[in-house]
Amino acid sequence: MAYEEVKIKKPLLLKILSLASITAFFGGWELIVGTGLVPSTMLAAPSSVFQLFLVKLTDPNPDGSVLAAHVWMSIQEAGIGYLLSLLIGLPLGLFMGWFTVVRGVFRPIFEIIRPIPPIAWIPLCIFWFGIELGGKVFIIWIGGVVPCVINAWAGVKMTNPTLIQMARTYGATDWQIFQKLCIPSALPMVFGALQITLAICWTNLVAAELLASDSGLGFLISMGRRLALPEMVVLGMVTVGIVGALIGLVIDVIEKRLLAGIRR
Amino acid sequence: MTADPKKPFPILPLIRNEFFLYVLSFVGFLFIWDWVAREQILGKSLAQPYDVVQELTRLLSVKLAGKDLLGHIWDSTRRVFIGFAIAAVFAVPLGLLMALNRYINALVKPVFDIFKPMPPIAWISIAILWFGIEEASKIFIILIGAFVPCLLNSYNGVRLIEPELYDVVRMLGGKRRDEIFHVSFPAAFPAIFSGLQISLSIAWTCVLAAELVSSRSGLGWIIIQGMRLTKPELVIGGMAIIALVAWLTSLLVSGLERLVCPWRREIGGL
Repeated sequence: MAYEEVKIKKPLLLKILSLASITAFFGGWELIVGTGLVPSTMLAAPSSVFQLFLVKLTDPNPDGSVLAAHVWMSIQEAGIGYLLSLLIGLPLGLFMGWFTVVRGVFRPIFEIIRPIPPIAWIPLCIFWFGIELGGKVFIIWIGGVVPCVINAWAGVKMTNPTLIQMARTYGATDWQIFQKLCIPSALPMVFGALQITLAICWTNLVAAELLASDSGLGFLISMGRRLALPEMVVLGMVTVGIVGALIGLVIDVIEKRLLAGIRR
Repeated sequence: MTADPKKPFPILPLIRNEFFLYVLSFVGFLFIWDWVAREQILGKSLAQPYDVVQELTRLLSVKLAGKDLLGHIWDSTRRVFIGFAIAAVFAVPLGLLMALNRYINALVKPVFDIFKPMPPIAWISIAILWFGIEEASKIFIILIGAFVPCLLNSYNGVRLIEPELYDVVRMLGGKRRDEIFHVSFPAAFPAIFSGLQISLSIAWTCVLAAELVSSRSGLGWIIIQGMRLTKPELVIGGMAIIALVAWLTSLLVSGLERLVCPWRREIGGL
């Protein structure tokens, strides 16, 4: 942004309002379950979710693993799929943005895969890989690769044409222009892709685990439904949300560190 | 396309032609697919392209669970549109209000931030507990999934407006109302529409997930049916139809966008 952000002290009222809305949210939630307005078979009160959280820290029953094991399993799957989609998607997108031949070869295939929701691959994955790690990684990868390619491609496309013409005038080769101009100018978009891809990977992970798995956070959620334990469902949802947000924060810090000199 | 005024290349100028390559790549894709399926490299679980087409034409006339293919397509599309429309109608104005009024922002933002990082698909289980496996639970999931990007984009669309634009309105003697109607809304439109596009694709993902988990009709059901009957041609056919319908609906939104806000900047070729 062109402007240095001016720090204005937040009025007290705004702080109170924020705090009040959070309190009202959790209080209301506890209340409607506690008073029986919503039957406890349908929604768990925050307090019972927290209780289950404490229990699940050490107790593998009734779904087979402690909470940490579920989290670790999910992170593993999402991490592998995420890294693979970055590794393949970003270079592919960069090349597709600049080299006609690469674009000509890969664009039709990419355009075929792009509109298919990654979740639609789940049945095929189960056919091909079973419900092991491979299938889930494949689904996460195929969902994550699309935004990577699009962002890297768009980043190259947005390279200032004047600079390219200038480089040509000075006799730079195609490869030099790509390396010295297109990649640096695509970097902000590439880093944007890191966050977008992460969010998509995390969503697809939950979907993959809901349908076919024997551990992981999505599995915890679907077990909660099968056992009719709403507190387990809510615990799974909350954990998914918190872990996803935490990973997002980590990526954000990495992005800021790497981009320190680039973004104005 | 990027201008490529290279030296004329004597060998195979055809290879340099993008459109020739498109055709080549597409045909190659179909050919490899057919070959992999015929030689059963992935086991028996990949159908040949021709089988898929045949299966789809068969479904046009044969009823599956009381509905033919068009009926299933319509079921899924209807769910997507209802959920998407409700989300858009509530989320966009709410996002605008949050960006324009800091008190509303202070009230809504903290609660929204709790829900934001939760993948909509994680809601499926609780939606089934609440609404059963009927239409309502699917629409609920779509609503949740489509809500977040709609709200975020209209919120950020207003917040990231260059302050110079407001200064201009104020210089010309405009009031707060003029700022909102002449700057905030028009400038936020492109962001709102890209939010709608994202929402739409998430809505399709959600409807699919919901139908995969539990339903008796729709495209997701067709896919899961193909899986249960181990009919890969049905699975791939379903995937192809979903891709097609999702793509058509997104064309609809971008058409609407061109109609409503022609001033949007686009990145050529994407």
